[in-house]
Amino acid sequence: MARIVHYLNQFFIGAGGEDAAASPPASQPGPVGPGRRLAQLLGDEHEIVATVSCGDDDAAGRPEAIAEIVALVQEAQPDLVVAGPAFTSGRYGLACARVAAAAKAAGLDAVAAMHPDNPGIDEAGAAPVVASGEAARLMGPALDTLSAAVKKILAGEALTDADGLVGLAPRLPRMADRSAAERAVDLALARLAGDREATEVPLPRFDKVTPAPPVEDLARATVAIVTEGALVPDDNPGALESARATKWLRYSLAGRDELKPGEWRSVHGGFSTVWANADPHRILPLDAARQLERDGAIGHLHEEYLVTAGNGTSVANARRFGVEWAADLRHSGARAAILTAT
Amino acid sequence: MRAVHRVQSVGMGEATTWRDGALTVSAEEAQALVSAPCLADVRVSWASPGDSVRIVKVLDVVEPRTKGPGGAGVFPGWIDGAPADGPTHVLRTAAVVVAGYLPRAQEAVIDMSGPAAELSPFGGTHNLVIEFTPGPGADWADVDDALRRGSLALAARLAEAALDAPPDSEESLADPGPVDGLPRIGAVTNLQTQGLFKDVFVRGESFNGRAPALIDPAEIDDGAVVSGQYGHPSLRNPTWVHQNHPVANALRARHGRDLAFAGVVLAPEPVSASEKARISAEAARLCADAGFDAVILTKEGGGNADADVALKMDALEDMGIAAIGLFAEMAGPDGTGPPIVVAPERATAMISTGNYDTRLDLPEMERALGGEELALLGVPATSAMQLPTAVILASLSPLGWGRLTCAQDG
Repeated sequence: MARIVHYLNQFFIGAGGEDAAASPPASQPGPVGPGRRLAQLLGDEHEIVATVSCGDDDAAGRPEAIAEIVALVQEAQPDLVVAGPAFTSGRYGLACARVAAAAKAAGLDAVAAMHPDNPGIDEAGAAPVVASGEAARLMGPALDTLSAAVKKILAGEALTDADGLVGLAPRLPRMADRSAAERAVDLALARLAGDREATEVPLPRFDKVTPAPPVEDLARATVAIVTEGALVPDDNPGALESARATKWLRYSLAGRDELKPGEWRSVHGGFSTVWANADPHRILPLDAARQLERDGAIGHLHEEYLVTAGNGTSVANARRFGVEWAADLRHSGARAAILTAT
Repeated sequence: MRAVHRVQSVGMGEATTWRDGALTVSAEEAQALVSAPCLADVRVSWASPGDSVRIVKVLDVVEPRTKGPGGAGVFPGWIDGAPADGPTHVLRTAAVVVAGYLPRAQEAVIDMSGPAAELSPFGGTHNLVIEFTPGPGADWADVDDALRRGSLALAARLAEAALDAPPDSEESLADPGPVDGLPRIGAVTNLQTQGLFKDVFVRGESFNGRAPALIDPAEIDDGAVVSGQYGHPSLRNPTWVHQNHPVANALRARHGRDLAFAGVVLAPEPVSASEKARISAEAARLCADAGFDAVILTKEGGGNADADVALKMDALEDMGIAAIGLFAEMAGPDGTGPPIVVAPERATAMISTGNYDTRLDLPEMERALGGEELALLGVPATSAMQLPTAVILASLSPLGWGRLTCAQDG
């Protein structure tokens, strides 16, 4: 009999919604919530021995959270970890994917379930992800897919598209026989001969972001400024990259009313930073934000700003930054953010 | 007509000479050609294919070419050479490389051996590397201008050494024009023209703010397009690549056989979205007026430059002209991200020139040129390191030089 640990967020263990999103990692014996149905579907051959949970903000926003979750998972000595389904929930999907990836890296079998558009897909590492629908009303079919995938993995078989396996097949580098220019000529002639399908690059699918509802009482809300304009203290103490950023940083605005030239610098590699450095407010409008704060238009300006460099950044990293920023800002009480872009 | 002299060996000597494939350079003469009031010091040295050398902070690369003494007929607008007819003398497999710090320049790397050597056009050329120290208080724009004039003058001077020597081969180049019964295929070459240190020059003048224009590809061969564009290293087109315009050459090679080479349109890459749309519409109309049946479009620069290709592709397809775009992928280190930043909406025919994010493990080198440190990683330039393909100069071949590509099945 295989031992299984199920990972869920605060909502699906019944601890609460956004009010409980900061709750730390926890473990309880046996299946909980959707885990009960999953246990039924898995039958007598397999047992969900424990359910490990964590609040979405904590799991996606605190760097140590995933390691703590995996430590709790390992205490139950499972053969396999199953995470989700997370549907289209970004923070939950990221957590499920990271837990599955870390469990896989620790030598356990693992599988996560989420909607194919969930940004977590990019973070699952070597762990497989199977598809779910968009929202919890589709829990039934999601658990059917997930339980079948668990059985197949425990039987030692690899998942395929037919099992609901999602995630893009990687596009790998290779050397062609001929130059790009010569291949382009071939493609032009094929296209003129009526072949409308020929291409070396499939058209990418892009996410559509649904805007959050308006902030109800802006005069009482804490508002953050975040930027991809790579504005950092002049000596760039966090070594933010000028292109292809792999990280984001935070710097305090506490007690500051302005950003003096010479003390701050944009390290962005994608535009001329002369004018940004001459007046850092062009990237991070602290002066205007403090004025809005004084005028009572906003409650408070968040005490720190979050920053990265948006220049050649991979979509996977950009998505991750977005989810982490959302979790971090929620965690610290900000209810709105102004993203200044360059 | 090109008179091609193939460089077999290189060295330094008393005088700049060419003898039976051996190129000898007078360092003193080379330094004098590049020196300028804004430069405190100029140094030259050779790096050849197979050498254990890493060149960092590469700015531009130029192929030695001239039509006569004093840079006659090449690099119009930059050196004082008289206009000239007759064959262009080319030192094939040689290059003049400028390397050193300039503000806003993104750090570009050429490895002369190891896995990155075959990815860059310049891992396979004998490179005369110009290093420099700016004078005290020198204006960076003056430094950039002096390096450009100096490297072009030096490239012309090297080719001049072979003017009287019999060439190894002569290349006859097809001029664009109609051929009965064959489809007319042209090229649109986008130039990243976005201000100081990110600019491209046509006949000596910035192409920033100019309208799309047809150009005789023979002019490009002779150095009408000169790069001062130091953005994304893998996604730039150094002057050398323009001189050897891969799309024009691929079309010429098949002119009269299964297609008619229809011409080259140069287009600027402006910064704003509305200007990108306007320039794209103008370029598409120019292609239609010129009677192109199909167009191969290329870019230079990062994600925003995808829009300059994608918008033109859609505009061309809307006019019934087949559009083929060359794109570098930005699909993340494992190749699972969306490959294109701005994809066409109606056109679909795309060539992949490789993935920007693919990691390369590069070996330790005996010698570094261009700087002692790779600033990007804060490590000695000679050390073993892992870098994304993005940092290897011209490796993602925006103008179509390279063979790197990506595919799902690996």
